Amino acid sequence: MTATTVPAVDGTGTGAATAPWRRDVTPSVLARRNPTVKLVLLTVVSAAVLLVLDPVTPLVLYALALVGVAAAARVPARTLLVAHGPLLAFAGGVLVVNAVSRPGPVVWSGPGLEVTAPGLSVGTALAARSLLIGVLALGFVRSTDGPTLLASLQADARLPARPAHALLAGYRLLEEMPRTWAQVRHAHAVRAPRRRGGRPALGVRAHGRMVFGLLVSSLRTGERLAATLEQRGLGLGPRTVWRPVRRDRGDVVLALVVLGTLAAVLLVSARLGLLAGPGALTG
Amino acid sequence: MTATSAPTPTGARRGSWSLRELVLVVVLGVVFGFAYWALVQGWNGLSIAMGPAGDLAQHLLLGGWLLAAPLAVAIVRRPGAGVLAEVLASVVEVVFLGSPVGPLLVVSALLQGVGSELPFALTRYRRFGWATFALSGLCGAGLVFFFSAFRAGWYGQDLLLLRFGLQVASGLVLGGLLAKVLVDALARTGVVDNYAIGRDALRPGGR
Repeated sequence: MTATTVPAVDGTGTGAATAPWRRDVTPSVLARRNPTVKLVLLTVVSAAVLLVLDPVTPLVLYALALVGVAAAARVPARTLLVAHGPLLAFAGGVLVVNAVSRPGPVVWSGPGLEVTAPGLSVGTALAARSLLIGVLALGFVRSTDGPTLLASLQADARLPARPAHALLAGYRLLEEMPRTWAQVRHAHAVRAPRRRGGRPALGVRAHGRMVFGLLVSSLRTGERLAATLEQRGLGLGPRTVWRPVRRDRGDVVLALVVLGTLAAVLLVSARLGLLAGPGALTG
Repeated sequence: MTATSAPTPTGARRGSWSLRELVLVVVLGVVFGFAYWALVQGWNGLSIAMGPAGDLAQHLLLGGWLLAAPLAVAIVRRPGAGVLAEVLASVVEVVFLGSPVGPLLVVSALLQGVGSELPFALTRYRRFGWATFALSGLCGAGLVFFFSAFRAGWYGQDLLLLRFGLQVASGLVLGGLLAKVLVDALARTGVVDNYAIGRDALRPGGR
């Protein structure tokens, strides 16, 4: 399903048209795979690296994931770079806090701060892990659209019809939300007091009121959506779908490649004596 | 939606959820998911400016992530509403908004939901006063802390207790008391009159 691009309501809005979930899914190797399989793999990798706390292993996995996502989901370099902004900010914060807040041999000391070797090591591990999961999550959303995912979850993961339709209604609301938000913001801007120069003065309280307005209008829309769905008998039980999502040999190959790579990296790392578990936190 | 001759005022079938209630819970998740997304966009710049303190600031904001659960419980008044609201909100964040936290966010959400719902469950979904909400925020933030601490490697840091204190305080204020303010404000607008909260308000002695 291709998302129709709704034109931005205003020229000055804060990126009403650039919300990350308003995207066309680029045709790619990863986009053709079964969404449930992708979601399961993403979960397995995230859970597995939770137990890895040495700096090298997650960094290697991150590098492999970066190449894999860029190639298999055809994510442009620019998108990858932009997505790395917040990821790096978060990872950097994690690294610095760990480096200065863990006991151990001091490798560098500044005014009031001591960087310890275990802090640096654990911090790098945690930072690399958040980069790894962030890149994989990006690959997932860039190659999967909401309706296909929900169709797949109903067929492959036995998600009951009612929550599936409720989530679809939510997805629809989410698609419209930047526009609703722009409307609410404009309405408040019209009534807001002016700063010098004529710009509306919208402070924290005004933003609180705007979010509340968004909440109320969304609840109203949601109730109407639910009534419409019920009238048409949607969400009462399982239904056939227009384009069933398939599972085929490609999905088996994807699972083998992802899990094989993960296992291989963990094995080699363990052989080289690099792999460390949660013991690194307290040891 | 129309009042039939149902014996209980909270719905003919106590056990099964109507689509309307499910959509309400999802909508709560979507709106808060969107608000958080907008908040995070603005906050990223701030956290870079704050440097390492940005990592601590996340605890101050954590309570905000709890809001969906007490709102859903207070409006729908069904067992499991809080847990479901948090889980659905996290599903929206992970699969639609592409949260960089990844699928384990759902586990955090489950714990948050359980913690937030616990005080309401203990009153058998009958008391929705300030104390219950405050306790809800406290439990929600407290319970998830131990999982987050493992996931983010906070154990063994000098800051563990400070982090716990900040998070629980945030849960109390943002995830508990603010939820009560929001629920009361929503009830006044009339958008939730068709749900259990509206029906209960009509009963003699109901709030």
